[in-house]
Amino acid sequence: MATPPTPARLAKLTRTACKIFSTVYNPTAARSGNKILRERLVGPTVSSYYPQPLVHFRDIKAAFPQLNLIDTDEKERLDEIARRKRRGKGAPKKGIVTYAI
Amino acid sequence: MRSRILRDMKARTAVANNELIRQAYRYITRNETLPARTRHQAQLALNSLPTNTAPVFLRNRCLETGHGSGVFREFRLCRFQFRLKALNGELPGVKKSSW
Repeated sequence: MATPPTPARLAKLTRTACKIFSTVYNPTAARSGNKILRERLVGPTVSSYYPQPLVHFRDIKAAFPQLNLIDTDEKERLDEIARRKRRGKGAPKKGIVTYAI
Repeated sequence: MRSRILRDMKARTAVANNELIRQAYRYITRNETLPARTRHQAQLALNSLPTNTAPVFLRNRCLETGHGSGVFREFRLCRFQFRLKALNGELPGVKKSSW
């Protein structure tokens, strides 16, 4: 009649198995935090969600100040404001409140 | 809605930049073989990091509208924009089904 192996012998077997398969021998199942080290880093994935970084005209202008680039849309807007102001249709001055009676 | 997207972009950069330090603190906190004092200090350091460096702070938003809910992960569009684009034939391989 074969006797069952002793706990010490079983532990030794587990230890050997861990050595062979290069896993951590942790008989008391203590929390070592290794699962955090095993986690994949999500940084590259999350930062590539939006297709391309937004580049505004002002960024290009700031990058090449020696070119003296002119933002035509902005210039048009300012010209329109100046035109309206000449015609007396501009925005009222700040702080002056007029009431129509 | 653009501002929400910008905020999310900023948070994504912050998450990517702070990921290693966060994971290091998390490892120390979760490791029960380390002294309790060290683990507590690591937890406090983790708590003191800016909120937008936490990955849970991120939200997948619609690329077209910046909408924060009902966003398909695969197309990165909210459900309405997805429908519009799909019906317009702008999404390859997407077809309206009928049976």
